[in-house]
Amino acid sequence: MPLIIKDEYPEKLFRDDGKRLDGRDKTELRPIKMEVGVVENADGSAYLEWGNNKIFAAVYGPREVHPHHLAKPDRGILRVFYRMTTYSVFERKRPAPGRREKEISMVIADCLEPLLFLELYPGTSFEVFIEVMDADGGTRCAATTVAALALADAGIPMKSLVTAVAVGKIDDELVVDLSGIEDKAGQADLPCAITWFNEELSLLQFDGDMNLKQMEEFLSLAKTALSEIYQIQLDALKKKYIEIQEEVSGGNS
Amino acid sequence: MSFKDEEQGIKDNNQEEEEEAVNTEDDSDPDEFEDEETTRNLVVPGEILTTDTKTFSPGRGTILTQDRSKIISLNIGLKQTKKNYINVIPLRGFYTPRPGDKVLALVTDKNPVKYRLDINSKEDAILKPKNTMKRGRETRGMRGGPPDRNTSNTDMFNIGDILIAKILSADRLNSPELTTVGKYLGKKNNGIVISIDPPKIPRVIGREGSMIKNLKNLTKSTIFVTQNGRIWLKAEDIAHERLLVDAIRKIEREAHTVGLTDRMVDYIENEKKKRGLK
Repeated sequence: MPLIIKDEYPEKLFRDDGKRLDGRDKTELRPIKMEVGVVENADGSAYLEWGNNKIFAAVYGPREVHPHHLAKPDRGILRVFYRMTTYSVFERKRPAPGRREKEISMVIADCLEPLLFLELYPGTSFEVFIEVMDADGGTRCAATTVAALALADAGIPMKSLVTAVAVGKIDDELVVDLSGIEDKAGQADLPCAITWFNEELSLLQFDGDMNLKQMEEFLSLAKTALSEIYQIQLDALKKKYIEIQEEVSGGNS
Repeated sequence: MSFKDEEQGIKDNNQEEEEEAVNTEDDSDPDEFEDEETTRNLVVPGEILTTDTKTFSPGRGTILTQDRSKIISLNIGLKQTKKNYINVIPLRGFYTPRPGDKVLALVTDKNPVKYRLDINSKEDAILKPKNTMKRGRETRGMRGGPPDRNTSNTDMFNIGDILIAKILSADRLNSPELTTVGKYLGKKNNGIVISIDPPKIPRVIGREGSMIKNLKNLTKSTIFVTQNGRIWLKAEDIAHERLLVDAIRKIEREAHTVGLTDRMVDYIENEKKKRGLK
């Protein structure tokens, strides 16, 4: 008998003790783990575990563009391929890229583009492959975060990292980092990404209902969460080299 | 290291092939990884290096922000302050061809007009037959005279050959062009080619070629290091070559640490004892 998971959402998204269904506070993030240099043959790569999300990103480039007619004579192009594996969600996902994946690929590409100096590499492409192994809400934010990390690991000159997080409204309360259930059953969600060299928003999408005052609150909530994630990103990027440094200096002393 | 020293080195190693020598490439980035005293501060893209923009100027791998208030890093690398310039020495990156670089190239395609070579950059390089032979009495017909229809111009090299070539011209828009006429240039018939991350090449050479001198003397081998991240090496036997490959991999891994040259000498001597090599 096939496994049947009912497509039902709980009526209340807060527990009696005021915490969220997974036991988090309103502004608490899910546990995040990042690692760089996981794909051997890629120029740069990164892996991210964000709650139940598990995402790989691999970067190649600069390299020649295929098909060749996409190449631009005056600048390089950035191509992002966001894909979900068939087993990443409850119901089997059809492996062909769908409307949603194409949209998210485009959104992430637009989000990462201001970081790079594409005009220095005419006729070439940078390619970012993002593979979602396990999805539980906020994959576009997680994918953006891990893609920036992979680009930095590849040694591609970039102005800064980019970090993304989703904030939203569930049961009339503003919360940070929506999980899958909160995303579907909640009232509003607002994924946003920040580029750290100018601290400007690089991605902002919105779904649901809220008023302008709440929007301001949302963004200030997001800002604190983003700097928290940014710190994890920086640590992950440096860890690879610091570990070797410590190993070497430990051996000498 | 001057060319004289290199030639001396060949004679010491009593190699038959006289053209095989080590290029030091000290013209390109002499300061890279050199100063052991510089603080080995690891920086990541976007990290603020200084807010004192009056005394410091952005050097390599850095940029001044649009409001001119701070200098930020563009790469993951090591921060280095030289006079009033702030540089970031990258730890990862790709090879960009520059005129004058010597590269190890693999012939991937050829037609009667030109060869196509893989030089580990974003574009394939081109080698024209006129750049493969010295101009002399025999080759005078190459220019001007009627073409010889019976012989192909491109039968000097075959697909799959490994060449040491020099870059004649390279820019952002056109494919780089190579030449094989010159000292140390030409086809390689033996040895091993390994590739490492191109930004770590200066570390394999070391300060004034100290690292490569040590590697050569300790394993009695010939090494040719090129800027595109490839290293050609040949030793007395396969065991020495394996040791050399392991050593180079270790250099690549620990390129950002302090005191690497001394550590490598210890490593090779220990490994030689362990593996029972002379």
